[in-house]
Parts: sequence; C-alpha cells; structure tokens
Amino acid sequence: MRREWRDIHRGLWLRRRRALLTGIGITLAAAMLSTALVLADDLGDGFARGARAADLPDVIVRFDPQSRERVAERIRALPDVAAFSTRTEFTNVDIFANGYSDGRASAEVVGPGRPGYAIVAGRNVSSHYGEVVVESGLAQAWHLKLGDRLEIRGVGPQRIVGFAEAPDDVGYPLGVPRFYLSQAGIDARFGRDPNPQVDVAEIWLRDPRHLNEVLVQARTSSYGLRGVRLITRSGVRVLLDQAAGIVIDLLVALSAFALATAAVMLAASARAEVQRRLPAIGVSRAIGASRGHLVRVQALESAVVAIPAATIGVVAGVLVAVGPSDRLLAMLNEPPAGSALVWPLIAAWAVSVLIPVAAAAWPAARAAGRPPLTLLQGAGITGSGGSGRRPRLGGRRTGLTVLGARLVAARRGRLAATVLTLGTSTAFVLLLLALATALSALETDPGALGKRYQLTASLPAANAAGVRAISGVQAAAPRYEVQALDSFSLGETIDVIAYPGDHTVFEAPPLTAGRRLRGDGQAEVGAGLADALGLTPGSTLAIALPSGTELRLRVSGVVSSLDHDGRVAYVPAAALLRGDPGAPEQIAVRLDPGANPSRVSAALTRLGAAPALASGATARGVPLVQTLRAILLAVAVVDGLVCLYALVQTCTLTLAERRRTVAVLRATGAGPGAVQRLLAGVVIGLILPSAVLGIVVEKLVLGPALSRLAESYATLELGAGYAQVGAVLAGLLVAGIAAVLWVSRLAMRETVVTGLAAA
Amino acid sequence: MAVLEARGITKTVGRGRAARLVLDGVGLDVDADEVVAVLGRSGSGKSTLLYVLGGLDRPDSGEIVLAGQRLTSQSQRALARSRLRHVGFVFQSFHLIAELSGAENVLLPARLPGAASGGERRGRRLIDELGLAPVADHLPHELSGGEQQRFAIARALVNDPELVLADEPTGNLDAESGAVVLALLRNLPGRAVVIVTHEPEAAGGADRVLRLTDGRLVPERGAVGRSAP
Repeated sequence: MRREWRDIHRGLWLRRRRALLTGIGITLAAAMLSTALVLADDLGDGFARGARAADLPDVIVRFDPQSRERVAERIRALPDVAAFSTRTEFTNVDIFANGYSDGRASAEVVGPGRPGYAIVAGRNVSSHYGEVVVESGLAQAWHLKLGDRLEIRGVGPQRIVGFAEAPDDVGYPLGVPRFYLSQAGIDARFGRDPNPQVDVAEIWLRDPRHLNEVLVQARTSSYGLRGVRLITRSGVRVLLDQAAGIVIDLLVALSAFALATAAVMLAASARAEVQRRLPAIGVSRAIGASRGHLVRVQALESAVVAIPAATIGVVAGVLVAVGPSDRLLAMLNEPPAGSALVWPLIAAWAVSVLIPVAAAAWPAARAAGRPPLTLLQGAGITGSGGSGRRPRLGGRRTGLTVLGARLVAARRGRLAATVLTLGTSTAFVLLLLALATALSALETDPGALGKRYQLTASLPAANAAGVRAISGVQAAAPRYEVQALDSFSLGETIDVIAYPGDHTVFEAPPLTAGRRLRGDGQAEVGAGLADALGLTPGSTLAIALPSGTELRLRVSGVVSSLDHDGRVAYVPAAALLRGDPGAPEQIAVRLDPGANPSRVSAALTRLGAAPALASGATARGVPLVQTLRAILLAVAVVDGLVCLYALVQTCTLTLAERRRTVAVLRATGAGPGAVQRLLAGVVIGLILPSAVLGIVVEKLVLGPALSRLAESYATLELGAGYAQVGAVLAGLLVAGIAAVLWVSRLAMRETVVTGLAAA
Repeated sequence: MAVLEARGITKTVGRGRAARLVLDGVGLDVDADEVVAVLGRSGSGKSTLLYVLGGLDRPDSGEIVLAGQRLTSQSQRALARSRLRHVGFVFQSFHLIAELSGAENVLLPARLPGAASGGERRGRRLIDELGLAPVADHLPHELSGGEQQRFAIARALVNDPELVLADEPTGNLDAESGAVVLALLRNLPGRAVVIVTHEPEAAGGADRVLRLTDGRLVPERGAVGRSAP
C-alpha cells in the first residue's frame, strides 16, 4: 500500500488543477443531493412525523361552548372510540412577551387525557397555576426561551415551561399564536367551575379505518351541539402544504439529475484521464505492475479527492437547506427530521464518493487489462473516438468557432450526455423560475386563485350596465355574498357567492370533481366545505340563509379555493335572491387585458362607488409563499452552478484531449483571443442544443405536468414566459463566458512545446 | 539581408540534477532564399533550437531578431502575433487537426485574428500548386503521409511567412514522399528555411548544413554550402 500511496501523492500533485476541478464537481453534486435529501425528508414526512409525535387525534371536533359532561356523553355514544379529551379554546386573546405582542392569540385550556400536541422542549403544563406551554413557531418568532414569562391579558404572567407542536393547524406566523394552559391550574387559581364548558373535543379511534363510519355517526348524533365542525387528519393537511409537496418532488428530481450530471462528468473526466495516461499505464504494465495495483491507484486517488469533496458538499448542502427547512416546518407546526436524517446523509455521502471512485477505477481496469504493447502505442479505451465523417461544412468558411463546435461534436456520447444534462437543468431552472413567479402571483395575483375580476365596486346591481360602459372594463356583474350556515344542525359557516350568469367569467376556482353548476338548483362547493360536510357531486347542500330561509341545492362539482379555507359555495343568484332578497351586493369588475385599474377605479368613484382591488392569498400565507420561493430560487442557483460545472468540465475535457490541437493552433500564431474563440465554439456547441432542449422540455413536458399536479389547489400557469427564458439564456451565456475565460486561462498556461509533445 | 538573427542563445531543459544545457551560446543567421539544415543526434536539442528560433519557447539568454523584431523581449501575445505573420512550422507528425479537411487545415491560420489579408487566396493556390486539390476535402486520416505533410507545408506557408521552420519533416515519411517534401522546402522562393533532422540525406541540397553538438552549432564537415557565422 505504501507504494500506492506514494504514486497517489505524486499523481495528485502533478494533476492538482484537474483534481481541484473534479473535487468541485463532487462537492456540487453532494451539496445538491444533501440539500434535496434534507428538504425532501424534512418536508415530505413532516406531517406524518408531526402527527406521530403529537399523537394527533383522528378527529377534532369544534363546537359552540357546551357542558363537558354533555360532550363526553355524545362522544361515548360513538363507535370505536379509543380515547378522547376536551378543551376550551379562547380566541383573540392579548398576549405580550419579550417586547412582542399580539391580540389574536388562541388560548387552549386543556383538560386531563391525551393532549394531542407534542412537547418539543421542556415539559407539559402541570396542575399548578402559572405555567404555560407555547407553540414552537411562536417561540421561534418571538425568541422565547424556557422560563420566560408570557403575559396573558385577563390571566396574568405565566412561566413558559415547554414548547409544543401540533400539526392540526399551521403555526405562527402563518396562523395565530397558540398557547396551552391547564384546566386544573386555572381551576386552582380561579376556583372550580361546577359546570365546566368546553368547545373542542379530540377523539382517537381504535381503528382509524372506521373513520368514515364514525364521522357519519358523529354528524347524526351531535344533536344539541351547535356549531359543530369536524376535522379529520387528512383534512388538516392544508392546501399550501401541497405546494411544499411539489417543491419536494422538484428537489428530488433535481438532485437525481445533479447526481447524474456529476456521474457523467466524472466518468468522462476519469476516462479522459486514463486515456491520457495510457502510455504510462502501458509502461507500468510492461515493467511488471499488476492490473490490481493500477486500478487501486486510480480508485484511491479518486477517493482521496472524493472523500473531502463529498464531505464538504454534504455539510454545505445540509447547512444551506436546514435553515429554510426548519423555518418552513415550524410554520407548518411540524418537527424537523433531526437524527433521522443521519443515515440518508451518510448514504448520500457514500454515493458521492463511490460514483467518482467507480468512474475512475472502471476505465483504469479496462485499460490495464489490455496488452502493454497496445497501451504503449496509445490505443484508445474504446477505439479512436475521432470523427470518421467527412466535414459537412467543407465548402464554407471554417473558423475557430466552428472548429470548436466540431471538436465537441467529435465526442458524440459525451456531447449527448452533456446536452441532456444541461438541457434538463435548463428546463428545471425555467420551471423553478416559473414556479417562483407563480407563487408570487399566488401571493399577489387574485387570478392565481381563480378570480378573474380585478375590482369590486359597492354599487347596486342595477348599475352593472353603467360599469360595463367604462373604458377598460371587459365585464361587470352583480356579485352577492352572504354568510350562511349548514342547515343540518351542524352550524358549519359557509360563504355563499352568487352571480346572475356564468360565475366562471368572474371566479373560476379549479374544478377538482364533478362539473360546473348548470341551472338554478345546483351549487359548486369548495373542497374545505366538501370535506367538512362529506359532500360529493350529486349530494345535497342545505344552507340556512341569514334571512332564515333554507336553500337546498344539488352539488354539481367540488372546486379548490384557498379563500375561507375552501368553505365556500357558488350558487345561482336567482336561487340566492329568492331565499334572501336582501343579500349584500356589489359589482365585480373584470378589466380588459392591459387596462389601467387606477383609471377604472377613478371612473367607478365618479359613479359613486368605493372600488376595491381583488385580493390574492390571505396575508397569513405570505411567509410560507416567501419561504417556498426562497427555496426554489436557492435550488435554481445551485442548478445553475451545476450547469456551469458541466460547461467548464466539458470544455476542460475537450481541451485536455485536444492539447496538441491547441498547441498547433498556437504554434501557427493563435493568441489567447483565438483560443477563446475555439472554446466559444465548444460552448456554443453545448449551449445551443441544450437551450432548445430545455425550453422544449419545460414547455411540453415539465410545465404542463406540474400545472396538472398543482391544479388541485390553484390555477398555476407554469409555462415559462419570455422574461424567464431570457433570464435562463442570459444565465447560460454568462456560464458559458465564465467557462471560456476559465478554461482558456488554463490552456494558455501550458507552453506550446508541452502541448505539441502531448500524447 | 538576414531574416533571422540569433546570438548567444542558451537553453537548459529539466530541473535540478536533471537539468541539461542543450543550447550553449548558439548563433545563427539565416537569409531570405536560404535553406539551412541542422543535423544532430536524437536529444541533441535540435527541436529545442527550432522552437526557440520560432518563438515557441524562450531561451535562458541570448537574443533573437526575426524580420527586424526582437522576439526575446516580446510578450506571449506579441510572440503569437510574430508567429502568425513571420513564421511557418512544419512538424514531423504533421499535426493536422483531425476534424478539419486538408483544405480547412491549410486555411485555418489565414482565418486567425490578426492574419494578413490574402491568406485564403494564397492557401487555395498552394493547394493547387502542391497537387492537393483532388484530396482537399479529405480528412487527415484519409490522406497518405506525404499528402498530410504537403498540407502541413501549405499550412505553414499560407500567411506568407519570411521564415519556415521544419522539424524532422521527413521523419514519418517513406523515401519517395520524403524526397517530394524536401524538394518543396528547398524551393520556397524568398523565404528563409531551417530544417532540423537527424538524417544526413535530408540535409542534402541545403545552402548550409550545420551540426548541433554539445549545445553548439558547427559547420558540418564535408557538407556543401556556406559556412556558419
């Protein structure tokens, strides 16, 4: 082994620049892989992990305050109940701590039994007064530590004894701040209530497969309980969590491509290196070196580069990903994977080391297996590799750029692999940029939520014709919206929205089941409402209007709406007005493409209206959207670096194989500019087909596929626009220029004489 | 008038204990229309001398003036420009670019940035004159050794250089092809030609024949031609 180590040390020193480039490639691939692993593992299993840790109940029931005994009686009547606990929830509580304050806090006063939340630090509240457990999202946002005081208006200061996570709702700042007090502690301080009231019950089933039957039974046996809302585990998965799922899918796919890129590049690099060293291998074989020794030297030399590079890459990837991932998880009230990530990361590290080692050892093994005489004559590993075709541009002017393109085209296998890698990376970057733009739109553009109108005007319905006459207005119609209740005594609040004609002209949330409403007796319901009431196309929606009239409509379809957690129903205006002639009305205004909203608003004001802009996602979704966007952009940057690496590596390999060609050119008088032109040809030969491939793949495959994946929660047009295509092309161009400058610098360092003597 | 003037050129190759002085105060003047042959054993430093004279390598000391310009004080960029305009190289292994046809190889130096105008026209004429037109579109691997070397000579001449440096130009050729190539090199009007070779036959017909021995250039005994300075 000592002899091998000596050879390795000498070889690495002689080829230190190439080793550095290889190391950079391994580092990038390992970083990409570990980033994707951290995000995928953290976010992908976040909910399941959180549900397990929190012992999340199978059903959470919210209702108007009721006697605890009465609630318990109803729950005991349900089948298959393993356990239950009750609590009281107080909303809009004023809290203060650490210089922060919020008046929308939710106080959960928990009774005995399973808590339904996970203590992630400290301990749970005891029966003593003066203790509080706060949600970890709140603790993180307000920089709270165990032992700090949380001032609760009406209760007084409470010592923080623990931090909790419960994935039944999003955490602060996506949701309201949440904290937990013990009922026993409150009783100890304020005296025991002889008839304690509760408004939340958590139910664990013996067999969760019986959930549907239990829900049906719960709906029918909940008489006497008002305002009942049933939430199941699956219903807890908020819609924006699906967006995180798409990001995860993208990251996993990207990491696979990054790994493939690295593998292809490293294999090509190793092959070129072995090709270059064939005579030396031949000499070694001729003087008696064993095949095993030569393979070991190659493998160990590669391992010496790969081990530190992969370690740096994995650590860097974890450091890059863990911050945004933990922030996102805290917002979603889900715990990070923690030590569960160790083994996947070790696996990623091992893969990052083994691929380059194998890529180096395999061609060495093949080469060393040849007769020494053949090796001494410099025969290629897989034949000549040169182009046997007559040049097709023979009659045209063949400049250096064309020559560069020909040099890169001569290695068709590598060209195909590099173009595939760059093209796919380009497609992914385009997709990421398109998705980031779409997420911005989700935040700010009502259109992304299915809203087709841009303005509302507080005007009577009769004024719709006058509004339509305003320049820049494409369509205007009365829009009615009332807060109704589910009339099956469940008290589910429903936003009922109605238009006199086709509502999809103004609001077209994506249809996830059934079809659009047709006729007076039909309704489209939001997914949140369908989930809460168990509605499907064909079932009956019975709603109690504020006027006291009941409206019964057949559900024609289920739509996905982010507004009001999907508890919406679109009904025909005629049906609504028959039941509630006094329903509040306004005029929804859809503008011509490119129309100026300010100008139309001014015209509406002149008509006596108070115009308002239609809103995008609710404000509480903004931090999540921003975090997702940051992750996407970070991944796009890493992907860009992979592209740069692929370009530099391919240029370097092309030049390494054509050292003599470059030397001949330089001997005939080519200066640095001419070498750069040659390399520009190499880069153009790679970038042009890659860009075309990337744009086509994004337009025809990835964009539509992701749009279909996303259509269950929002209308996202994921086709890259001119701006994104321009940005990516500019990025490729910059990467290409960087590659040309870097590699030409390397090429010019070598003396012409050395290049002429190259094998 | 001398196209090339070299004075006191020294050059050491290798480092440390392996260092070897291969050129030890070499002096050489070559006039236009003159063909100088340099003989020497393998490893005597003939190629090194050629590379130094053509500005491909730098001497440790001494001065080289090519077409009135001091090569030894030029930057790499200026040296490249000097090679482009004033020097043509012919190599033993031809060094044609495998992806380009014979004609494209010839025309390539004429298309380099900074090349004098008229190169393309001259290149096509050279291809015709050297009898290469029928195989002009062939790739190097489709050509015979003699054809490849003739294309290499055309490439060396395409920018109309004052100095042609040929490194063992017949080393990879059979006798018949070698004779054709040597005849071509000896009949380049208006140019200074330096041929280095280890084959005395290849030096035949040169205006002067020198031998590189122990790092110094000395007139070859019995050779025909003018004496070295």
